[in-house]
Amino acid sequence: MNLAGRLKPFNTPLTLVAIIVVLAGITALLGISLLTRIVTVMFVSMILVLGLQLYMGNSGILSFAHIGFMGIGAYTSVLCSMLPAAKMLTNPDLYPFLVQLHLPFLPSVLMGALVAALFAAVISYPLMRLSDAAAVITTFALLVIIHVVMLHWDRVTNGPRTLFGVDNFTSLWTSAGFCLISTFVAYLFKESRIGLRLRASRDDAYAAASIGINMVVMRWLAFIASAFFAGVGGGLWAHFITSFTPYSFYLTETFVVLAMLVVGGPNSVSGAVVGTLVVTGAREMLRAIENYVNILQVFPQGFFGFTEMVLAVVLVLILAYRPQGIMGSNELRWPPWCRKPAVAGSVQSVRPLS
Amino acid sequence: MIDLEFVINVLSLGSLYAMLALGLVIVYGILRLVNFAYGELIMIGGYTMYLLAGFTPLPWLVIASLAVLAAMFTSLFTEFVAFRPVREKSLTAMLITSFAVSTFLQNGALLMISPRARAVTLPPVFQSSVMIAGTSVPWRHILTIVTCIVMLALLTLLLRRTVLGIALRAAADNFAMTRMLGVPANTVISTAFAISGLMAGLVSIFWIGRSASVTPTIGGPPLLVAFVATVIGGMRSLTGAVVGGFVYATIISLLGIFLPPDLQEFREAFMFAIVILVLLIRPQGLIRSRTSVERVG
Amino acid sequence: MLELQDVHVRYGAITALRGVSLSVGEGELVALLGVNGAGKSTTLASIAGGLRPQQGDIRLEGSSILGKAPEQIARLGLSLVPEGRDIFASLTVEENLRLGAFTRRKETEYRRNLSEVFDLFPVLRERLPQPGGTLSGGEQQQLAIARALMSSPRLLMLDEPSLGLAPALVDQIFDLIARLHQRGVTILLVEQNVDRTLEIVDRAYLMSTGLIEGHGTPEQLRTHGDIEGIYMGVRRQKD
Repeated sequence: MNLAGRLKPFNTPLTLVAIIVVLAGITALLGISLLTRIVTVMFVSMILVLGLQLYMGNSGILSFAHIGFMGIGAYTSVLCSMLPAAKMLTNPDLYPFLVQLHLPFLPSVLMGALVAALFAAVISYPLMRLSDAAAVITTFALLVIIHVVMLHWDRVTNGPRTLFGVDNFTSLWTSAGFCLISTFVAYLFKESRIGLRLRASRDDAYAAASIGINMVVMRWLAFIASAFFAGVGGGLWAHFITSFTPYSFYLTETFVVLAMLVVGGPNSVSGAVVGTLVVTGAREMLRAIENYVNILQVFPQGFFGFTEMVLAVVLVLILAYRPQGIMGSNELRWPPWCRKPAVAGSVQSVRPLS
Repeated sequence: MIDLEFVINVLSLGSLYAMLALGLVIVYGILRLVNFAYGELIMIGGYTMYLLAGFTPLPWLVIASLAVLAAMFTSLFTEFVAFRPVREKSLTAMLITSFAVSTFLQNGALLMISPRARAVTLPPVFQSSVMIAGTSVPWRHILTIVTCIVMLALLTLLLRRTVLGIALRAAADNFAMTRMLGVPANTVISTAFAISGLMAGLVSIFWIGRSASVTPTIGGPPLLVAFVATVIGGMRSLTGAVVGGFVYATIISLLGIFLPPDLQEFREAFMFAIVILVLLIRPQGLIRSRTSVERVG
Repeated sequence: MLELQDVHVRYGAITALRGVSLSVGEGELVALLGVNGAGKSTTLASIAGGLRPQQGDIRLEGSSILGKAPEQIARLGLSLVPEGRDIFASLTVEENLRLGAFTRRKETEYRRNLSEVFDLFPVLRERLPQPGGTLSGGEQQQLAIARALMSSPRLLMLDEPSLGLAPALVDQIFDLIARLHQRGVTILLVEQNVDRTLEIVDRAYLMSTGLIEGHGTPEQLRTHGDIEGIYMGVRRQKD
């Protein structure tokens, strides 16, 4: 088989990778620092959305805990990567063994992801047996628990106070690189036996069980994998923003990541990528409008929240009129007119009324 | 210390939480929708009180009534505009929609009024107390308990004595069948949302009555309480919601006394951990109801 | 009174009805026979508004009811008793019946229907204040039918009313259906119990894999219809 033949099954991930590389390249060439910042953060967001797609798109279950794992990844990676002196400066109460900890950047990020995944593994196994509303509420409960713990465990996280002094290790190409890898992994997961089995059991739990698919284990594995992604995203983001608080990992961020996935289409990896692109672009435009209005001083107390309101309206419109998102369960391919057919079954399945 | 003061506190808190949980369950029972925007209805009630008390000379009873009406109206409005178009789609779509509505309302308040807390002028009765059996009991505790009792009575009357109420209960049992008997889906759902708004409105009066201020994020904590109370009591049962509310109030008050001081801040985390435990051991909650939540593993 | 014209229904990739046409005249007792999966329940569900056909038309007394909501169709006088006795287990017998009469505003009509229902199902009068869930299987089936009758339906549709019942109860149910027919109620009956059904109906349709394969009076079907074929899977050769 020649090279083209070998690559054919990877058409989609390669196309997506190409898009990422082209975007990164253009940004690097243009050299506008604001744009570089936006695109760097966008790639990090993309990693988060890909992780969420991995779980939600394949299992069909909504998870609100995702950003919580991002937070775990962020704090863990930072505690690993910062110099002891810097850590003492920002958090004098830090546990001694944490102060001594010091790893290079990449291992720190991976450590953050591992801790997040481990936590997810331990706490979520019993939850995988629940269905629908119970499952959603428990993921929400997880988010809240993680948030409260981050907010009050002063000796680790510095509580509600800002943790500052993180080295800015995340460059444009770092985040782009991780994003490339994430895209590939998410796609491979989807096409893997686990992904297939998970979707089978989502579409018909009893039929799947009858051929020996253990849905609980499949879900659990997907959840762990998505937590790993979130942990990576958290670690990268922390080393970009260089200072943060637990409030950076709560409802607003959850909403944005969810919006990105829903707009793009929850059933495909391309949906995650496209959704992130579209929503990031929209948000930046809306923010520009917000800033402009603020400069004009039309609203005395400041013009904030406009971006989120518009995003919310768009989200509801999409859910009402095009729930499968922009990609509509399809994956991107090159050439674009040669579409792979939609994956059978989706987050929104056609069900009769009765 | 468990004394009369403690008991009255728990009763008052339990009444508040019971009403809170009721408002959430009534929609869940019919639509299976966990309404994330429910907390924002309390926020709306709060801001209505802030605006009316601060800028109009209206008497407080009128202000409170208008706050409740505002919450009910918002609830109905969000049902009509956001939830109805999404209703026929999946449950996940509805959940995400409720999250979006919540975000929209919160940021709306942020935009229209202020990201900062606003003080709400409360009537004097919220500060005064009365002596009962040697203990000083704040009037607002008594008002909360009385409101809860009255609401429970009215709700029971509605659900048991009126055809609409019977239709609501039937819809919670089997929505599709209820429609096939000729009961209009929209009427049933709107009624549920109206009741939900009513509960939220009443809760907002007493919730704001504790802190005398309102912020865009004030809906968060009561939403969490409603979740926990509902899950503890059993998500499909109105009785369960009431029981759950009182159980939550009791546990959290006891935790307040018996937890060591440095763990006090983690009370919420504890409560949520209890939620997860309850769901694992007994997915149908404390109160047995006709249909059980399915487990898949 | 009721007419289906070339109705097609699809669930996702599965086509449940592939062009079903049938009719029920006023006062008739018509049956829809076939094995599991033939599409009988789907047909009833489409008529009642629970499913929307992709193609074809459904007419009640000349006007189309295609695409109407279930509650609208119920108000037009169509009453469905679904398979499996879908009574409201948490509501009392009385509340179930009260809800059955939802489309009828007048209290007098309610009382009249109630006494007729007690006439047909005396056991329900005894069980009036009990929750539906405490009734036996046979009593629940009676309640389900009684509830449907409370709305004075122009067309009553029954989906396998004898399913899962003891033989003595099965007799009762078929007697009841025959009696209702005598009183002039128009009935569309879905059943798997071919013999008993053909004893009481005016006409019947044979259904198989989403299509009507045969149709006629009981005598016609017994002599010319391919009943064995449909139930045993031994098909006549198609050209």
